Formats: sequence, structure tokens, C-alpha cells
Amino acid sequence: MNPLSTRLDELLATAGDSAKGSHVIRAVDVKKIYKMGDSETHALRGVTLDVRRGEYMSIMGPSGSGKSTFFNMIGGLDKPTAGKVYIDQVDIAQLDPYELAWLRCRKVGYIFQMFNLIQVMSCIENVMLPMSFAGKDSEEARDRALEILEMVGLKERALHKPAEMSGGQQQRVAIARALANSPDILLADEPTGNLDLKTGEEIIELFRKLRDDLGVTIITATHDLKMLKASDRIVWIDDGRLARICTPAEANIQVEDVH
Amino acid sequence: MEQIGKQVRLPFRRAFQIALSGIRIRFGRSVVTVSGVVLGIAFLMSNLTGQLIKKSIAEERDQRNTVNLMLSLIKAEIGEVAGRQIAVSTFGQLSPVEQLLLTQLKATAIVRDGPEAGLRIVLGDQPQVPVTLASLTAGMSQSVVIDSLATRAYAAGDTAAPVRRELFFGKESEDQLAKEAQLAQTEKFRNWWIVTISLLVTVFGVANALLMSVTERFREIGTMKCLGALSSFIRRLFLIESSLIGLAGSIVGVIVGALLPLLAYGFAYRFALVFGTLSYGWLLVYAVAAAVTGTLLAVLAAIYPAWFASRMVPASALRSTV
Repeated sequence: MNPLSTRLDELLATAGDSAKGSHVIRAVDVKKIYKMGDSETHALRGVTLDVRRGEYMSIMGPSGSGKSTFFNMIGGLDKPTAGKVYIDQVDIAQLDPYELAWLRCRKVGYIFQMFNLIQVMSCIENVMLPMSFAGKDSEEARDRALEILEMVGLKERALHKPAEMSGGQQQRVAIARALANSPDILLADEPTGNLDLKTGEEIIELFRKLRDDLGVTIITATHDLKMLKASDRIVWIDDGRLARICTPAEANIQVEDVH
Repeated sequence: MEQIGKQVRLPFRRAFQIALSGIRIRFGRSVVTVSGVVLGIAFLMSNLTGQLIKKSIAEERDQRNTVNLMLSLIKAEIGEVAGRQIAVSTFGQLSPVEQLLLTQLKATAIVRDGPEAGLRIVLGDQPQVPVTLASLTAGMSQSVVIDSLATRAYAAGDTAAPVRRELFFGKESEDQLAKEAQLAQTEKFRNWWIVTISLLVTVFGVANALLMSVTERFREIGTMKCLGALSSFIRRLFLIESSLIGLAGSIVGVIVGALLPLLAYGFAYRFALVFGTLSYGWLLVYAVAAAVTGTLLAVLAAIYPAWFASRMVPASALRSTV
């Protein structure tokens, strides 16, 4: 048995036997302090939040609110200064770089505002990349990549390079890539920020479909009202604190008024 | 869970493919980086080849001079060599000079034993020979022996036999030799000093180009880390890329660096002389050594950029502006 997997098993066991609990992410009193010389910046001042499995959650907040820091934290990209972040019952503060890489590879799929496709690779190679990081052999990975590309409606463009595609298509390839290792969580940072309204709506529709069909938990940082309206819960972060949690109905978002 | 271990060792083939396509897509930048290696290695190779050509030509000239001296000695002894019969005895290994002398003698004179022979030439590196001088000249019209080795000892006896023993000489004085060796040493030192500097410049040039490409690719690196790439994979990617750049640059550099001095010396002397005397074995050894040096230096130059790249945090992929 591989020592790394044994350790992850232990961590899972100590975290409780309900590995498939109802909360896929739990943040408990998370604080983050950035030190620059003598000055300290309190990016997060204690945020407690549970994210339910299969939930579509949006995070909002003005720039400098700590929204990005919190977003990175629940995505396993950063570790808290104080408090705990559990991703699928595992405390990320206890993970070494190898285990963090494993977590990022298997548990979380990342979607970026700028799509961040590897320009030198074709669509299918981009989708296969996380699979090769996971050690899957290329034959199996190829079939799976085609399957996912079909799901996002881009199977026939599998051999195209990202530069040959529109923004909406690139984002859909990026979503396919994020789904490559069947993650529990999709983490999207302003996924519609670089898209026009119509393509943005297509992406939102795709997110809804993924949540309903695959049961993936989707967390987005966004200011797009259409995205907020589509989500199950909206979380406001302000000045490093959780300001408000509500449903789109409570927030009373009027999409029609905006454009 | 059983597949976690596999993630630690991403297939080398895949990393190689990614590195290669990275070079291809950023072809312009790669060419600039490669040309840095080409220049350094071409300089190293041209220096090595130049020295090899110079040495070969000088050796060839030395041999010809010595042979001419030997021939004039023989001429002084027996008159015109052409058409004359000369007896030759060899003991042990022949030096290149002796071989050349033998070839030249065979071209004009008749090299054969017999009463017609008026001269016996003793060649070879054996310091002690089991025959007497008298037996060597037995049956010859004149008892003249010319020996290529001044200190050769013959078997004792027959001292009464009328023998004249002439010796080849013509080596420059030791003073002269020492002076030339010192001059050559100084030139060699100066050459290597310049070569070392140029190779250092190459290393820093490649390191700088790679650092630039790392900062250019921070989003790509961050994305790969978000997708689960280990730092070691990012490091490996850059090391493979730089070794490919190093190899390509070295091969071109070796070809350019070998051809330039060959052409230059060929025009300055004669192509037949340059290509005829060149030691191709050594040229190949130098070429391989220069190519290996270039590749290793490129990898050396990549160590810091690769480390720098592998330390990038995955969150850098999320930054939307640069």
C-alpha cells in the first residue's frame, strides 16, 4: 500500500465515518493574515461556512473584501492562518504538497475567468492533462475526454487548438477539463466575466445541468446577476467577514432591470 | 485510492511531449535561446578544431622536414638516390617519420638487399639488436650503415670489420623546443580563457531567456498546478525543455564550429593538406565532447528558472490581469 494513500485514508477515517457527508466543504472560523514586513493585513477575520453537497453557491464581495482569499482557501489553493477548512472531511492544513496536489487533481475542478487553457495543446489534450496528472493511461483517458467533450457539446472540435475557438467554446473546454477526474467540487472564478451575455447564459445553463446530472457542487465567485440568480445560495463577504447568506429570491435580483 | 502513487510519477513521455510542443509553439523565442547555445558551442568547437588542424599541419610539416634531412644525409653519403640500390633493415616498430622515409625511398631508389647495395639503413625503435654491424654490411660493396636511432646497441664481436656508422640527427635544440612549448602553452591558456568566458555568457544567456519564459508562462504553470501537477513535474518540464534547447544548439554549434576553421585553413593552406592530415577520430571526440558540454550547460542554466517556476503558487492562475 502506498504510504500517501494510507495517510489520506487515515485522515478520512479520523474525520468521521460519513465520508460522503452532506457537507462537502466546511470552513470553521477561518482567518488569514498576510504579513508584509511589519504590517499585517487581515484578509479574513473568521469565516464559518458549510457548503452542501450538490449545491450551486455564489460568492460575492467587493474587491479587497477577502472574497478571493476565501475562494482560494476552500479550493485548497491556500492554507488558513487560523481556523480549519475541511474539503470532503479532510483538513487541508494537515496536507503536505503531494497530498494537496492530489486533492487539487481529484477533488476539485477549477474554472478560470481567462479560461487558462494550455495554448500549446489541443482541446482533447487539455482535457486529458489532469488525467495524466492522475496517472490514467492514455487510451482510457482519451475515451473519457471525448465523452466529456461530447457532454459540453464540443466533441467535433476535439483536435482544435484553443486559439481557434470562441471564448464560450474555450470556457466549455475548460469546464470539460475541470470535470476530467470527476471532482466533487467545481470552483469557478468569474467564469462568465470574459463572455458576452448569450454565451454567459449557455455556461450558466451548463453549470445547472452538471449540478443536476452529476451532482457536482459548484462554487463561483461572480458579479454576474444571471449567475447569482441561477445559484442556490449567495454568500456575501465584506471586510473579511461573512456579511450575509441568502437565496436569490431573498436577494430579490431583478435581471431584467439590468440590461 | 490505489492510484495516488501513480500521480507522483507522471510519464516521462508526456512531459517530453509537453516540453517539445512548448518549444514548437514559442518557436521565435526558442530560436533566440538556441542561438545563444549555438554561439558558445561553435566558439568552443572552432577553437578545438583549429588547434587540431594546426597540430596536424605542423606535425606533417615536421615529418616532411625530418625526412628531407635524412634524404640529404643519404645523398651526401652515396650521391644521387634515384635508381640506386639500398638495403633496409627494420627492428621493432617504425615511427611515422621512418614510414614516410621508406615510402619516399621506395618511390625513387631500389630497396633490396644484395651486393649492388652500397648502403644499409637501419630503422625501428628496438634499442638493442641481436646482430653485429659487420653482419649487416656483409657482402655489400661499401660498409656504410645509417641508423635512425643514435643509441642503438649492436651485438658485440666482429669489431675488426670495417664499418662506418652514420647517425640521423636534425632534432632542434632543447632550448628551442622549450621556448616553443612555452609559447604554445601561453596561447592555449589565452584561448581557453576566452572559451570559458564565452561559455559562461552562454549559460547566463540561456538562464535569462528561460527566466523570461517562466514569467511569461506563470498562468500556464499555475493552471497546471491547479490541475494537480506536482512541483517536480514543473521542474522536469523546464529541465527537459532546456536540455532539448541545449542539444539542438550544440549540434548546430558543433557543425558550424567545425566547418569554419576547416574552410579557413583550407583556403589559407590547401584543402588536400588540411583534410588529408586531419585526425578524424579526434574531431569526432571533440564534437561529442562539445555537444555534451553544450547540453549540460543548458541544463545547468535551467536549474534556477526551473526551481523558480516550480515554486509558483497555484493561485497565480486565478489572477486575471498581468
